[in-house]
Amino acid sequence: MPSDQLELLIAGYVLGDLTPEEAAEFEQLLAKYPAIAEDVAQMQTSLERAYAPPDVPPPPHLRSAILNQVHLAEPLLDTSSTNSLPSPPAVFTARQQRFPWRRVFDLAAASIILALGFYNYRLQQALQTAQPSQPDAILTYSLQPIQAGSEASARVVVDPNTLEATLMVENLPPLPPNQVYVMWTVLEPNAPFTTDDKDAILTEVFRVDEQGNFTETLPVPVVYRVEGVVTNVAVTIEDAAAPQLHVGAPVVIAQPL
Amino acid sequence: MQSEQPGNQEASLPSQTDAELFLALRNGQAAALGVIYDRHAGLVYGLALQTLGNPQEAEDLTQDIFLTLARGSSYDPRRGSLRTFLAILTRSRSIDRIRSRSSKQKLADRCNPDLQQEVSSNTPLDHATQYEQSQEVQEALAQLSDSQQQILKMAYYDGLSQSEIATQLNIPLGTVKARARRGLLKLRQTLTSFTR
Repeated sequence: MPSDQLELLIAGYVLGDLTPEEAAEFEQLLAKYPAIAEDVAQMQTSLERAYAPPDVPPPPHLRSAILNQVHLAEPLLDTSSTNSLPSPPAVFTARQQRFPWRRVFDLAAASIILALGFYNYRLQQALQTAQPSQPDAILTYSLQPIQAGSEASARVVVDPNTLEATLMVENLPPLPPNQVYVMWTVLEPNAPFTTDDKDAILTEVFRVDEQGNFTETLPVPVVYRVEGVVTNVAVTIEDAAAPQLHVGAPVVIAQPL
Repeated sequence: MQSEQPGNQEASLPSQTDAELFLALRNGQAAALGVIYDRHAGLVYGLALQTLGNPQEAEDLTQDIFLTLARGSSYDPRRGSLRTFLAILTRSRSIDRIRSRSSKQKLADRCNPDLQQEVSSNTPLDHATQYEQSQEVQEALAQLSDSQQQILKMAYYDGLSQSEIATQLNIPLGTVKARARRGLLKLRQTLTSFTR
C-alpha cells in the first residue's frame, strides 16, 4: 500500500470515520505492521494539540464514584466470559441467553405497565370528565410526528402541583449547532397569559443526543394549573441564537391525553 | 498512548488496548472502565472544564460520559479511536448543557423580569468556542486550507458528524471526509517537522 494511502487511513481512524471496508483493511494492516500504532498515537497527539486543552486530572473521588455506580449495575451484566472478547452484538446475545426468564419477566412486566398505563389513562379521563375543575391530576401529552414515516415521538408528563414536567424525546434527528429544538406550551386564543403571536409559551430549549434522544425534568408555566387553557404541546426547530422567535413549524405535536 | 485496535491477546487489563478494554467492558468486565478512565479522564475532564467553566459541572459531565460508555454507546472500536469518540461526545454534551442553561435563564428572565441580570456579552457558549493555541499550532494550522481548518474544527471541536458538516457546508460527504483526513495529515506532518 502506498504510504500516503496508509497515512490517510490512519487519519480516518483517528477522526473516527473509517468505513467498514476501510476498518477491515486497517485492522489487517495493523496486525501485519504493529508499528502503525505509533503513527496512530502521533496523529492523535497532533489532533489534540490543535483542538483540545491539556489534560486536567479530575478530583480523586470521581473515579470511585463512577466505578461504584458501574459495579452496582454489574449483576445485570454477564461477567462469566471475561477471557473472551466477542464483538458487541455477540455480547448482548450472550446476556439474553443467560437470563431467558428475565426476558420473559421483562415482557410480562412491560405488558402490565402498559395495561396499568391504559387503565390510568382511562381513569384520568373519567376523573377529568367528572371533575372538570380538578387541578391536581397529572397531565400527559403524547407528541406524534407531523411528517409521515417519521419515528420521532415525545412525551410530556406535567405535575401541575409542583409545576414540573418530564420531557422524554425519542428519534428526533440531531441538529446542526445553529439550530435547537424548542418545546412550546400552546394556549387557547386570548387566554389571559403572556404568549407570543402564536399563542405559545417557550417552555424548553433542548438538543438531542447522537441517538436522537433527550430526557429532562423542567419547570413549566403556571398555565398548567388552569383547566382547559393549554390546548396542546409542540416541538419545533428554531434558530439557536433566537429560539423565541418561533418561526419553525411543529415537528411533533400533541393534544392532552 | 495505547494503540487502539482490537487484538486477541489475553493480557491483564492495564496492558490492553483501548479497543480491547472497550470490548471487555461490553463483555461485563466493569474493571475495564477503571483503566479506560485512568487513560482518558484527564482529556474528558479538561474539555468539560474548559467548555463549561465550572468544576462541579465538569465533574458531573465527566461522570455522565464514562457512565454512557459503560452502559452502552454508539462507539465502534473498529472504525475510530476511543479517545476521539470521548472528546467529541464531551464537546457535544457540554454544548448541549450550555444551551440548556442559557434557555432556562432566558425563561427565568421572562418570568421574573425584575430579577433579570445584566448578561455579559461573553456567554459560556462564546467561551466554549474560543480556544487557545500555541504559536506553533497556529503556524501549523495556517498551512491547511481554510476549508480543511473549518471541517476539522467542526468535526473535532464542535462535535458535529460528517453528514451534519456536509449539510451545513453544502458539500458532498466524501469531500468532507477527504478534506478532514488531508487536513489532519498535513497538521501532523507540520507539527512533527517543528519538533525535529
